[in-house]
Amino acid sequence: MPKKAILCVDDEEMILTSLKDQLQNHFEDRYQYEFAESADEALEVVEELSEDGMEVLVILSDWLMPGMKGDEFLIKIHERFPGIVTVLLTGQADEAAIEKTRQHANLHRCLFKPWSEKELIETLVSGLEKT
Amino acid sequence: MNSARQNIMVVDDTVANLKLLADILADQNYSVRPVPDGKLALSAAQAHPPDLILLDIMMPDISGYDVCIQLKADERTRDIPVIFLSAKSDVTDKVKAFSVGGLDYVTKPFQAEEVIARVETHLKLRRLQKELEEKNERLEDTLRQLKTTQDQMIQREKMAALGQLIAGVAHEINTPLGAIRASISNVTKAMENSIERLPLLFGELSAQQRSDFMALVKTALSNTERLSSREARKTRKLLTKKLASREINEAASVAATLVNMRVYKNLPPFMALLKAPNNTFIVQTAYQLVMQQNNSQNIVMAVERASKVVFALKTYTHFDESGKKLKADLAQSIEVVLTLYHNHLKHGIEVSTHYEDAPEILCYPDELNQVWTNVIHNAIQAMEGRGRLDIRIGRQNGNIRVRFTDSGPGIEAAILEKIFDPFFTTKRAGEGSGLGLNMVRRIIDRHEGKIEVESYPGETTFSFLFPIEAG
Repeated sequence: MPKKAILCVDDEEMILTSLKDQLQNHFEDRYQYEFAESADEALEVVEELSEDGMEVLVILSDWLMPGMKGDEFLIKIHERFPGIVTVLLTGQADEAAIEKTRQHANLHRCLFKPWSEKELIETLVSGLEKT
Repeated sequence: MNSARQNIMVVDDTVANLKLLADILADQNYSVRPVPDGKLALSAAQAHPPDLILLDIMMPDISGYDVCIQLKADERTRDIPVIFLSAKSDVTDKVKAFSVGGLDYVTKPFQAEEVIARVETHLKLRRLQKELEEKNERLEDTLRQLKTTQDQMIQREKMAALGQLIAGVAHEINTPLGAIRASISNVTKAMENSIERLPLLFGELSAQQRSDFMALVKTALSNTERLSSREARKTRKLLTKKLASREINEAASVAATLVNMRVYKNLPPFMALLKAPNNTFIVQTAYQLVMQQNNSQNIVMAVERASKVVFALKTYTHFDESGKKLKADLAQSIEVVLTLYHNHLKHGIEVSTHYEDAPEILCYPDELNQVWTNVIHNAIQAMEGRGRLDIRIGRQNGNIRVRFTDSGPGIEAAILEKIFDPFFTTKRAGEGSGLGLNMVRRIIDRHEGKIEVESYPGETTFSFLFPIEAG
């Protein structure tokens, strides 16, 4: 049975590196972890996985990135894959963008950098329960 | 004519003259105060300053000249126009009358019409003068208010720029802080896991496997290459296929862990180990060791990043209390602003910089930071967050030339000459005060520099020329 995936999107490699091991440490081998450094790359990844018949359960996305920002990206994802749980992880609170994502991408939660491991895991666990 | 009933003081020691003048002026509807000697005239004028004084020169005790001198010496009576009356018609007397502060001179015996005409003229002049003074005062007051308002607006502009900067800096600092916090938890977890798993694993492994395991960990620790997410994904896919073709169990999971450990190049030495039935436990335990190094490196990188931002912030706000110019490197000061603006730029602006070797110049570094901030901020707004920004520093005829070229839509020729005017703005109300470029010009003026602007659709260049000091 193919594994299901969790996708993290952030233009900062240091963020992806630290998220990767947090996920690995907590969920171990239960999921496949995917990483993308931009929204465009993330869209490619989601398409590829979907072609391979692999389901993406949760997307954790930064908001402020070069090119497409997190709110726009998650809204796009939600239109195409309404079942994917969306989470924002942002270093800068932009209330309007968060609200937009809440309304148009069914945002599960917004986390703020620097996040704690506990809130990250709680958010992902509660998000995974929805899928 | 004199509806205001202006008050005229007449000073003469000859009662007949006093009466005659009082009658003439009263007929013209002036309010007249006849005074028979100089001393009384002074005290009366100080107590209730009249609008005009007709003053006889030849008087006992104190002469008209002395009365006039004392009137002019007193704040309360200084501005009252004085017309001298005298039988003396010598030129030197007239000259003296003017030199002590008299405005006019009427020779006795006088004509009523002449006295009236002169009185009217001087009252009118005095009134106009007063009006002018009042207007001047009002204008000065308005100017003061405008200056205060302008200072406030400049201050507000600076605060607004600072606000944007702080929002950007918050993001720039929160990113490394997030990485640090997460990596610390990873190091702690990985250490706990290693301590727990290593004895178990070593119990399961043969001597050869143990040695292979240590070699695997060493290979991982020695490779510091960092793959992009795209490269990692590609590598993982290839590796999964390769491992699957070698009949390795859980190929996808093992491949993912190996890529995380940066072991994907020279695999043959580890094939035996990877073929073991407990291969996922083996590679994941190895990864727990490597994870400690990975995350420590991540922390080092994050700390470096945060320090860079803090350093930039410190440099940005640095200014010398003495108000003297300091030697500074322009490229460095632009880099500081770019570091702080990284957050605003990275959305969709490709920044290229070309710095030729240029000497340090004497300048006000914090003010130049404001110039770069303004120009970069305007460029971002003009390009609506997407485009190219090219920054160059070079020498030109004894000057240092700093050029900022953006790929925005350009500035219309009709507007071009107004952009440095105070309060001129093309931004919507509330978005800009119209003081940004005005501030830029004033700062460049303070540096005896020059600004040149060239603008075409798709290419707008702001150039700043700074003289390189002799010696």
